[in-house]
Parts: sequence; structure tokens; C-alpha cells
Amino acid sequence: MRNIVYIVVQILVIMLVSPLVNGIIRKVKAFSQKRKGAPLLQMYFDLFKLFKKNSVVSDVSSWAFKVTPYIFFSTALAAALLVPVSTIVTPQEIPGDIIMLVSVLALGRFFMMIAALDTASTFGGMGSSREAMISSLIEPSILVSLFTVGLICQSTSMQQMMEAMKGTGIPLFHPVYIMVFLALFTIILAETSRIPVDDPATHLELTMVHEAMLLEYSGRHLALMELGAAIKQLVFITVLVNLIFPHDQLIAITGISAVVLSLFLYLMKVIFISIAIAFAEVFTVKFRFFSIPNLAALSFILSFLGFLQYFVLGGSNV
Amino acid sequence: MCQELKRKLTEAFAENINELYLEVNPEKIGEICTYLNTVLGYPLVSMFANDERSLCQQYAVYYVFAEREKGLLLIIKTKLAQEKMVMQSISAKIPAAARYEREIKDLFGLTPVGHPDARRLVLHSNWPAGEFPLRKDYDLQRKLDFAREEIAFQKVTGEGVYEIPVGPVHAGIIEPGHFRFSVAGEPIINLEAQLYFVHKGIEKMCEGESIERCLYVSERISGDETLANSLAYCQAIEKIAKVEIPARAKYIRVIFAELERLTSHLGDLTGICQDVAYGFASFQFNMLRGWAYQLADELCGMRFLRSVNKLGGVRKDFVAGKEVTVLEQLQKIKAELEDTVKIIKSNSMFIDRVENTGILQTDIAAALNAVGPVGRASGVRYDVRKAFPYEAYQLLEFNVPVHNNGDVNCRMNVKIEECFISLELMIKAIATMPNGKVLEPVHSVDPYQFAFGLTESPRGENIHWVMTGENNTIFRYKIRTPSFCNWPTLCHAVKGNIVPDFPLINKSFNLSYAGNDL
Repeated sequence: MRNIVYIVVQILVIMLVSPLVNGIIRKVKAFSQKRKGAPLLQMYFDLFKLFKKNSVVSDVSSWAFKVTPYIFFSTALAAALLVPVSTIVTPQEIPGDIIMLVSVLALGRFFMMIAALDTASTFGGMGSSREAMISSLIEPSILVSLFTVGLICQSTSMQQMMEAMKGTGIPLFHPVYIMVFLALFTIILAETSRIPVDDPATHLELTMVHEAMLLEYSGRHLALMELGAAIKQLVFITVLVNLIFPHDQLIAITGISAVVLSLFLYLMKVIFISIAIAFAEVFTVKFRFFSIPNLAALSFILSFLGFLQYFVLGGSNV
Repeated sequence: MCQELKRKLTEAFAENINELYLEVNPEKIGEICTYLNTVLGYPLVSMFANDERSLCQQYAVYYVFAEREKGLLLIIKTKLAQEKMVMQSISAKIPAAARYEREIKDLFGLTPVGHPDARRLVLHSNWPAGEFPLRKDYDLQRKLDFAREEIAFQKVTGEGVYEIPVGPVHAGIIEPGHFRFSVAGEPIINLEAQLYFVHKGIEKMCEGESIERCLYVSERISGDETLANSLAYCQAIEKIAKVEIPARAKYIRVIFAELERLTSHLGDLTGICQDVAYGFASFQFNMLRGWAYQLADELCGMRFLRSVNKLGGVRKDFVAGKEVTVLEQLQKIKAELEDTVKIIKSNSMFIDRVENTGILQTDIAAALNAVGPVGRASGVRYDVRKAFPYEAYQLLEFNVPVHNNGDVNCRMNVKIEECFISLELMIKAIATMPNGKVLEPVHSVDPYQFAFGLTESPRGENIHWVMTGENNTIFRYKIRTPSFCNWPTLCHAVKGNIVPDFPLINKSFNLSYAGNDL
């Protein structure tokens, strides 16, 4: 029963909130440009429209192209199940940890790159090779920063890490977590094709990374890929907010109202980070493609410094 | 031969004329062009053929060299017998001639002997062999067969080298053009641009049309260079008709020409910022461009400045009574532009993107006759408004900004500085313009007269050559827009850069497809 409640709450919250994150980011960016911008819920409308449409599939593509949207979407959902949105609604045991999280997302990405190569279009191959370069640079720093928190919490399970983080007071007052926070924030920008790395709003195929891989998709398939990417983005945001800004220790009540309050606080944190991402996008410009390793190196150094500081300063009980 | 040439040049300088025609034997053409280009250092600025069989049973080829210090166009004319249909190629010595010779070969069937690259330029591979549209006896009504030949692109081979075909239809709302990149990973080894997808036969269309009708055609050569093109056309016709336009009209033309430059440059700045995902600055420039368009709309009722020029002046006194509001608008644009420029120049991430991206070397820029902001960003100090002053530019003071590094940053800076100069010029012109009439109508022109019209369009030197026919018609209209000169320089500037930087470099050049394809 507990497991079923967990799965239902988890999937509903992640699926319903993830398009909102994009809406908020786009709205904030529009305000920075003196525009009103698209409605906050625009991505829901887009997805609704796309799900009603048929897909056009190139007749020179193979099975890989057709299965990829389903694989990408399900790996994103599987990743979402590994990262609880609230420590009040938890299963008996999550059969997977942060290593599993990174690998599941890598599986989805692998198929996305294969599918982009599959149609042999001009831009898909470029997108794949760029994505492969960026992800291989970013993955080490994801693992190191999460391992640092894992070391402190004595576990690699996301649920237990979140539980342990509740007892650390305000984590951002501790140098270790400042480093981890900055590293994770950079990782979010890189992993979700945000501006210093990629431009989600561009129409220039030659500069695209993530979008180049989706160019051949349409209709339902495109909707799955878009929603999958949004879910992946929210999973990373959830990791960040629930580790660095734990909130469930503030809730004194129990029962259903505690769950609602916890989810509400979670939503507030997600909105806050979305606005922060939008600001990061407004204040930066797209890097030169070969400067992206510098960004990845920065993220890795930050997470590694955090890792070293754990041994010098210790982690818990600031 | 060269001695005689020198004597004639000195005479021309003394008499202060700005077009000097010399007729040369076709065998001597290589020698004399090389002398002019390499010894005297006059760049080849235009080159075109003319079917003069109805006049002298021969084809004529005109080589136009420019003496940019004193403002003289030196035109070497040579007549070719219609039995042979060959001409001596000068491309090996003068690289700027390469595309003109290929153009002449496609449209007239005059084969340049010794040309290093004999492929087609204007006509695509689906055009049947042996059809030359600019010959006078070419029948426009006849339907042609569809030839099915492969387009021959330059091949780069080697381990890991592959080709990226892009276009002709692009993702943005832009004109069509096919780009063939040869790349090794991300770095670009070679780029070839296949243009002429929007070749409309403008030059052919104008032949036999009345001089008034051709004014409308010239306004539609390239959408955002309406005024620069119609101005060049008007200048040529006014020169043939020997009409001196009223002083007030000269000032009004300057105001509109600078307004066009302002909107065009602001559009380029928008594009540069957008391509590096600098949304704030991009929208800021776009807003300013909108203000400039509104100003144009208020002045003449047309944002793209069509129907402003008329043969012999301007259609109406567009500025009278609006001076105060125009000055207010210009000051408002200037203040906002100053703020925006301050912000973008203090953004180090943005400067890092544009600095040292897409460098066009000075020697390549000079050899290929790069014009306009592209040339000025690569150290070529040349502006038609200074070298061949037209309208009221002689009476107005302004600087010509020159930068030397030739990268996107320099091109951007030239454009930013020119925006301010344009604003200043408009303000000065409004303050100092005399009163009076604005039109000295051109009623008729003598047949078989010819003249050049030269303007500095937002993209650079714009040269139109008009030869009149009988009954106030056009016999031959040769249009050479700045984009024709600058397209090959783009292909040089991108070499060694990485593929994701191409859109940015392309935006900093901002070349017109319609203006090139004609």
C-alpha cells in the first residue's frame, strides 16, 4: 500500500509539475526582454496538442527511431521514482541509488543519440556527437557531488540521503554544501540544455545540441521526448532542492495535511530554483562550444573540493 | 600603352571628372588590368558584359576600376567579336574578377580563357547548355528543358572529413542559399555557398522598360536596401539627363539613406546577440529597430522607404513640418542605444564569443574587394560617401570607423559606431537643410548614353550602371550590390572556425541573397 501511494504521488507530482518549470523559466526570460511572453501553462497546451497528433516517421529509419521516445520517457519516469519529492511519502525501500539514477538517465540518453543518428539527417549526427561530449564531461561531476553527500549521510540511497540531510540544520551554511550546491546547479544547466551550454529557444540547427536530436520527431513521439526531457530536468531540480534545502523537518503535523503541506513547500522550492535558472540564462550568453569543457571542469572542481572538505571539516552538524 | 594610360589619368584628375572610359584591344586586356590592379593599386569594383551587336556588331566587356583617393572610376572597355565568343581571363592575377567572369560566361556565353574555376555560377545545373539569357536575341517566352546534372562542389577528402549540407531552405525566416561545409569534427575546412536560388532576371527584365518603371524595379532589388538601390539608379539617370537635383532633395535623400542604414545595422546587432543567446540585448536592439521603422513610417508612410526617390529628386517634402518630432525620436533612439551598447560591452562572456571569431584577413579582404562594414572591419578604409561624395555628404561632417582585426567583434563595433554616425548625420542634415523645392523632373534621356550611380548601402559600395535605349527606355542595367563582393569573403572568414560559430559569423556579415542573385 505504501509503495503504491508513493508511486502514484511521485509520478503525478513529477509529471504535472515538470512542464510548469519550463513555463516559469520562459516567463522570467520574457520579462527580462520587456515581453509578456507565452502563458505559464503553454507547455501543457503544446503537449496536449502533440499527443493528439500522429507521428511522421522517416521510411529510412529503423526500429531504434520508433522505440526511443518510449525508452527515453520511461527512463525519465524511472529516474523520477528514485528521487522522492517528499520524505513524508516514502516507500518501504527504493530499489536503486544514485548510481542507478545516473545509469538510468544515461540509458535514455544513449537511445536518444542512437535515434538521432538513425535517420542520417544532417543535424542529428552533430547533435549526437555534441551530446556525447557534454554528457561524458558532466557525468563525473554528478557522481562526485552526489557521492560527497552520500559520504556524509552514510548511504547512496536518495531517500536515506534526504532523511539524513533533514538533520543538518541549514546546509548552505556549511562550505561542503555550498560547493555541492554550485556544482549541482551547473550540472542542471548543462544536463537540461540551458543557455551557457545550449540554447533551448534557438532556430539555428548548426548551433543546436539537444534540439538537433529531436528535429526528426513529430506528434506523439515528440511529445514523449519533450515531456521526458522536462521530467529529467525536474528530477535534477528535485535532487538539488531536497538535498540542499530539506523542508520536511519543519512540518510538525501529521496525516494528509502534512503531505499536502510538504508537497506545497516542495513546489515553492522548485519555483524558486526555476527562477534562479532563468536568471542564470538571462545573465549569461551561450559559450563557445569548446569552452564547455571549462564549465564541466569548474563543476567537477567544485564537487571535488566539496568532497575533500568533507574529510577536512566533516559534514553533518554544522 | 601604360604611358598613354597615365597621361589620360592625369588629364582626368585635372578635369575633375569621375568616369573615364578607355577602349582597349582585347589582346591587351590582361596586361592593362594587371597594371591597373597591381601597380597602381586600383581595385576591380565591377565587371560586366553588354550585348552591343545592334550598335556595333560586337559584344562589349567593361572592367571597372576605382581610384578611391580622388574618386575616379576608370572603365576599360573591350569589344569582342561575336564569331569567337571568348575573352581573356584576368582572374589568375585579379582574384576579384573570378565571379564576374563566371557570371558573364553564364549569362552571355563569353568564355573566359584561362579561368581557374570554370563551373557555373548564376545558372544552376538544371539550366540547359547553350542558353544565354542576357543576349538580346534570347526569347523570354520560350520554355526551357530541364537539364539534370549534378552540382559540382569542391571535394575535400581525408580521414574523418565529411560534408554537411545545409539549406537551401533554412529554419529561420531567411532567404534561400545552400551551404556545403567540409568539416573534420567541428572545425570547418572549407565552405562553399551555392546561391542564385532567387535569381529573378532583374537585369533582363529592365531591358526595354521605361526609365520610370525601372525605378520601381530598383526599389525591389533587395528588400532592406530599397533606398540605396533606387538612389544609385536615380543618380545614374540624373547624370545621363544632366539634371542637377534641388539642394533640399539632396538632404532629404541623405536623411532617408541614413535611416535605412540605422535600421539595417540595428537588425544586424539584433541577430548577432540572438545567435549567442543574449536575449536581453537582442530584444533591446530589436526594439530600437522598431522605433527607427516607426520613424520611417511617420515620415514617408512606408517602413521600407519605397517610393521616396523619384527621378530628379524626391516625391514629396517628407520632412517639412516634422523636424521637431523627428529630432525627438532620434535623440530617444540615441540615448537608449548608448545604454544598451554600454551593457553589452561590459559583458565579458559576450565579448569572448565575438572576439577572434570569423577573422577576415586584411589581404583577403583587399584582394576580393570586400566593401562596407565588412571591409572596414578588416582595415580597408573605404566608404563611398567619402570617396565618391554624392547628394549632401560633402557638406556634412562625419567619420568613417575602421577596425583592423576583422573578427565578429570588429564588424559589430563598426556597425555600432555607424549607427551613432547615422543618427548624427540625420540630426545635422535636419538642422542645416535649405528650403526650396524637392523635385527637378527628368522628362527624357538621350538614347545610348551611360552612367554610373554609386551609393554606400548599409552593406557597402553599391554600383549601378545604366545604358539608355531609344524612347526613354533602358538598354542595359547592370546592378552590382555589395553582397556580390562580400559572399566570397564570408567563405574565407569561416575557415578554421567551428560549425556552431557559423551562424554568428554569417550574421555579422549579413549578406543579402536577393541582392546577390538578382
